[in-house]
Amino acid sequence: MKILVPFKSVLDPYEAAAPGGSGATAKSVINPFDEIAIEEALRIRERGEATEIVGLTIGPAAVDEQVRAAMAMGVDRAIRVDDARSLDPYTVARILRVLVEEEGPQVVLMGKQAVDDDSNQTGQMLAGLLGWPQATFISKVEFLENKTRARCTRETDAGLEVIEVNLPAVMTADLRLNEPRYVSLPGLMKARKKPIDVRTCEQLGVKVQPLTTVISTARPPKRCAGMRVESVEQLVLKLKEEAKVL
Amino acid sequence: MDFAWSDQQRELLDAVGRFAREQLNYDVIENDRNAVFNHEAWKKCGEFGIQGLLVPTEYGGLGQDPLTTVAALERLGYACKDNGLLFSINAHMWTAVIPLVFNGTEAQKRKYLPGLCDGSLIGGNAMSEPNSGSDAFALGTTATRQGGKYILNGSKIFCTNGPIADVLVVFANVDKSRGHDGITALLVDKDAPGFDASHKIEKMGVRTSPMAEVFFENCEVPAENLLGKEGGGTFLFTRSMTWERGCILASAVGSMQRLLEKCIRYANERKQGGQSIGKYQLVASKLVDMKLRVESSRHMLYHYGWLAGHRKAVYLEAAMTKLHLAEAWVKCAEDAIQIHGGYGYMTEYEVERELRDAIGAKLYSGTSEIQRNIIASLIGL
Amino acid sequence: MSGTTLILVEHERGQLKRPSLHAINAAQRLGADFALLLLGQGLDEMTKSLLNYGASAVVIADDAALAEPLADRSAAVIAQAFKQLNATSLLGTSSTYSKDILPRAAALLDAPMLTDVLAIEEQEGVTTYRRPINAGSMLATVQLHGERRVLGIRASAFEAPATVAESSPIEKIAIDPASLPNGTRFVSREERVSDRPDLTEARVVIGGGRPLKDKETFDRLVGGLADTLGGAIGATRAAVDTGLAPNDYQIGQTGKVIAPDLYIALGISGAIQHLAGIKDSRVIVAINKDPDAPIFQMATYGLVGDLHQIVPQLITALQGA
Repeated sequence: MKILVPFKSVLDPYEAAAPGGSGATAKSVINPFDEIAIEEALRIRERGEATEIVGLTIGPAAVDEQVRAAMAMGVDRAIRVDDARSLDPYTVARILRVLVEEEGPQVVLMGKQAVDDDSNQTGQMLAGLLGWPQATFISKVEFLENKTRARCTRETDAGLEVIEVNLPAVMTADLRLNEPRYVSLPGLMKARKKPIDVRTCEQLGVKVQPLTTVISTARPPKRCAGMRVESVEQLVLKLKEEAKVL
Repeated sequence: MDFAWSDQQRELLDAVGRFAREQLNYDVIENDRNAVFNHEAWKKCGEFGIQGLLVPTEYGGLGQDPLTTVAALERLGYACKDNGLLFSINAHMWTAVIPLVFNGTEAQKRKYLPGLCDGSLIGGNAMSEPNSGSDAFALGTTATRQGGKYILNGSKIFCTNGPIADVLVVFANVDKSRGHDGITALLVDKDAPGFDASHKIEKMGVRTSPMAEVFFENCEVPAENLLGKEGGGTFLFTRSMTWERGCILASAVGSMQRLLEKCIRYANERKQGGQSIGKYQLVASKLVDMKLRVESSRHMLYHYGWLAGHRKAVYLEAAMTKLHLAEAWVKCAEDAIQIHGGYGYMTEYEVERELRDAIGAKLYSGTSEIQRNIIASLIGL
Repeated sequence: MSGTTLILVEHERGQLKRPSLHAINAAQRLGADFALLLLGQGLDEMTKSLLNYGASAVVIADDAALAEPLADRSAAVIAQAFKQLNATSLLGTSSTYSKDILPRAAALLDAPMLTDVLAIEEQEGVTTYRRPINAGSMLATVQLHGERRVLGIRASAFEAPATVAESSPIEKIAIDPASLPNGTRFVSREERVSDRPDLTEARVVIGGGRPLKDKETFDRLVGGLADTLGGAIGATRAAVDTGLAPNDYQIGQTGKVIAPDLYIALGISGAIQHLAGIKDSRVIVAINKDPDAPIFQMATYGLVGDLHQIVPQLITALQGA
């Protein structure tokens, strides 16, 4: 079984959160949800149910660092579509669709959302374009009937739900699917020898027209710190009299 | 002079930082309190590739150059708060791995290096004795050749990793009539008959790094465990000690950076007398000095790393690096406590531990006084 | 803007999910008239309660094949309804139901989509949408191109709709089960019934973090405080990961985003991903042992101390208040 794992290079959310960092320029990493997807694909292979794991990403040459990180984890080979533009999820889905049809995997497994954009659309759109079943926000996946079907547990607003999808299918990974392995230095050394296949949208026959334009970005109004209270009594008083929320 | 990291170096350093941050910071306060060695973390470091950074790839290492290695250790020190774990790793790398790489026979390298690299074996050395610390070569432990074995008698103190080591590089004298020319290095496996490493020593700092007083009572060591030549001990020791002096405080540079950032955050958030304490000049001045110490330490470290990869004689630079970084680390840790005020004195804030960990740096691998003597003798005095 | 807006209305166990009706307010911002779409089986009762919102039509797709919300079938039917009504916009919310189905429908309709829309505005004749990015640490103002669009709105950012006297006409979508996608099968769902209000709708929410140690303590302290105030329970990712609470309690960037009148955070340090889910609460109370916890930067009232001692005291004080 071949598994395709599309992943996105994003600015490191951990670094962004830490104030007064080491002063280095902003660092990029594999989108944490996609990393979970890569890890799951590796585990599926380790238990003998998959034979090839192919990574896919879209971005300029700089993201080869994330491609090598994916290969250091264990992805066999990778395709990078060379494009430096910020692409909306639908355009990404259209590009991925061409590569999926070319590669013919049984499973496309990707993170449920990118932590920079927080759109949570690409996997579902890809499934719609391919006409494949989808299993979103999965926290568990098992293969049945000689890998013609997959049973997936999904995390929804109401709790856990279990569905079965015929393969080939698109799955999007949620947080609790697994905890990804770290990139080891020996893995990094080996990854330097694995091939990265670079393509372009032109070669794939995908015309990119912007459907979304970001006009501006701004910080939301800052919510200032209020006050410290010294006791439970004082807290209850403030909630009653001042905030009037009780 | 190109101060930039290559893409490959950057990827390696980033991988180290991320690994350390996510995998090596569990239960540090409790393990320090109870002086518990985190073996899980040690094994993870081995699998990750730390212990084998400098070892040639044919023996299971990563074959990295010294500059990349010290930068990686610096990053490790930045992202991992367990200074004791790093101290054990350093002791292992400089006192056991390096001597094997440079002085081991092919058979010894094949036997020990792969395990020492992948985390499955722990190494260390035993040099200092109750009566010979700074005066290292005045050691009294003897090694007598008897047929196919050496018989060791004596004791060693301040043996880092002693309680947990699978193999120790032990320095003993095969012929006291030759004085220093009799000092010889031997590989002692933990199950060697007559070897006792059970007497643990409790310390002020780097408490998660186990240390023992070790005893040799007619301890039998096979002849093929001779490391280098009979009488070659002082040369072997001096060579590995030069590596140790230059490299052992690489992770301290990372710790200092982490402390600096913590202090700046605190100075900005803590308000007294209507303003952040960082606005008061007496506090700001300490932080400026801390910044200068971190930067100068880092520059010395990188320069040493570059030199170590480009020429053989770095004896002076190693001593200068050790002296400067040790003094800087202790001073940074002291100032960090002062800046945090009462909170700096509390265990929970993880500031006081840094000072306890740092003070040892002025003592091990040659005290600061010894380093000064060495430097003085090398600058023409 | 011309063309009808189609609103996907959500329901669970025979009850409409009220927040999904806030999309009506968003549709009104788009200026078009709107139709309400309901997918499922046995929808008569719920249809009746949708008739007085001023919709140009209440569209029903009622069939056994739609008894469970399978994305492939739902999206196909939505696309069918969309075309039948000559719609140009499709709206839903930020629930997992909408997030699962809407993007797939967008692809079938060849339309771009925006998730978690907070505001819809007109700037010089151009419609702009505001949405959070980077776990809510930034807000992006976005323009969409093309003739069609799909929007997932954040319900709490839009008002509840007003009712009108006139009744909307009902329109039915003809379902041909044989032609619907067949690749997905529903197996099971956790059925957890609670007396407590829904987390995304509650006026008061109590959130618990990992320091609550075990499920028993979590239920006792977080649950106890919630019940004293008639509130709902939420949890941080760390708490869910360690088994203190089920996944649907998770609040944050990838969990639920809430905006109650009162949010009390117990033992929560305030990682950005969690703060993303609570920022719009009217009053935030933080109780934490660590005076440097980031959550204190945002809390209306902060109390430093051991929650294991404070919470029982608080419950007692509130019971008397």
